[in-house]
Amino acid sequence: MGPLYKFGWFDFTYSLQLAALIGFMFGFVLERAGFGNPRKLTAIFYLRDFAVLKVMFTAIIVCMLGLLYFSLFGWIDLGRVYLLPTFIWPQIVGGLVLGVGFVMGGYCPTTSVVATVSGKLDGLIFIIGMMMGSVFFAEIYSFLKGFYTSGHMGAIRLTDVFNINSGIIAFLVCLMAVGAYWFVEKVEQKFGDKDTLPMGSPKIKRTAAGLIILLALILAAVNPDRTVAKPATSEIQTEEGMEAVQKPAATPQTPDTTGFKIVDDEGC
Amino acid sequence: MNERYANPYVMGVILGLILLFTFYTMGRGLGSSASFARIATAGVELVAPEHAKANAYFSKYIKGKRSPLLDWLVFLTFGAALGGLFSAFISNRIKGEVARGPSIGVLIRLWLALGGGILSGFAARLARGCTSGQALTGAAELAFGSWIFMFCIFAGAYATAYFFRKEWL
Repeated sequence: MGPLYKFGWFDFTYSLQLAALIGFMFGFVLERAGFGNPRKLTAIFYLRDFAVLKVMFTAIIVCMLGLLYFSLFGWIDLGRVYLLPTFIWPQIVGGLVLGVGFVMGGYCPTTSVVATVSGKLDGLIFIIGMMMGSVFFAEIYSFLKGFYTSGHMGAIRLTDVFNINSGIIAFLVCLMAVGAYWFVEKVEQKFGDKDTLPMGSPKIKRTAAGLIILLALILAAVNPDRTVAKPATSEIQTEEGMEAVQKPAATPQTPDTTGFKIVDDEGC
Repeated sequence: MNERYANPYVMGVILGLILLFTFYTMGRGLGSSASFARIATAGVELVAPEHAKANAYFSKYIKGKRSPLLDWLVFLTFGAALGGLFSAFISNRIKGEVARGPSIGVLIRLWLALGGGILSGFAARLARGCTSGQALTGAAELAFGSWIFMFCIFAGAYATAYFFRKEWL
């Protein structure tokens, strides 16, 4: 049962190797999508190319559905997945300022790395700027501390705010995403450059949208939160979960444990 | 130079699966902004170790004897650099340049990149994460603050995009 690390499948040293591997895939995908190019990234803010929104929303709904299905099948214990706490005021201000930094600098933090390695000097300068910004934040932290910790609402999810179950939230998120895709493609048709925009068959798009909605509808009907609250109620599902745990048992090569665990885990 | 990029929906699905794999194995999501804060902290610690220890925020990263660089996100960012390099290499996209629109000079573009970097670095610390660590990861978990944060990024960028149009268009 996942998350494997939290159940002690491997130690800190191995987790760092895994981080490099995951990072490799992450950077690879970002570059493939064209996110090492600030003109491609910022084109979203001039209504010409919505690749940023498409990649982001698609990644979010795929991962969200995956997490909820994994939880439903008993493959992952969502209670042990680090959930980012909400500090509403610094998040609102931070988001607004990050948005300005994005359109001014042309990158967000990870994409600037990808840009730098593909030879863009402005990407490197952006990274230097980020470090300066971080140091500046730390230096004036004593003044900011009150604001930094304001609006604390705990590690809450949309389900807590609207008081409806994850399945229905997931369904609404998927509906919103599909609606957003439809809308931004209309906008792209109007403002974008048709030669550089990736097309793709409408038939496949419709099928994929249908599949997403169907998967979300099943979740909404099944209510995945049930299994999180009372794991013992569904015996068949736990058996499935057991099998899933058995399979990876062959693979993990735990290097000898140095014996320390991260107590204070950081999500960002 | 090859300007043809992969289909964003397909890349989104793959990115979502990478993120899911990260949750399944590590119980946490992706991220990168904190690694720059850590690298900066390591720099400050090297130059002025007492100052770094005395600072309430730096000291968060230099707890115990471990180096601030020996961290999950630092390794992730290192991997991302390699992955990006590999992808750019195989499509022949590695080219030394200053990326900018046709109607802006090199120097002013670099100043704006520095300014944007400073704002982003500061904002990411304030919001406890960036586009990947906060918006992408948190939104997939349905974290309330992350959704608000994500919409605020778009709001901030759209509201000011007009002033930077010469930089890109």
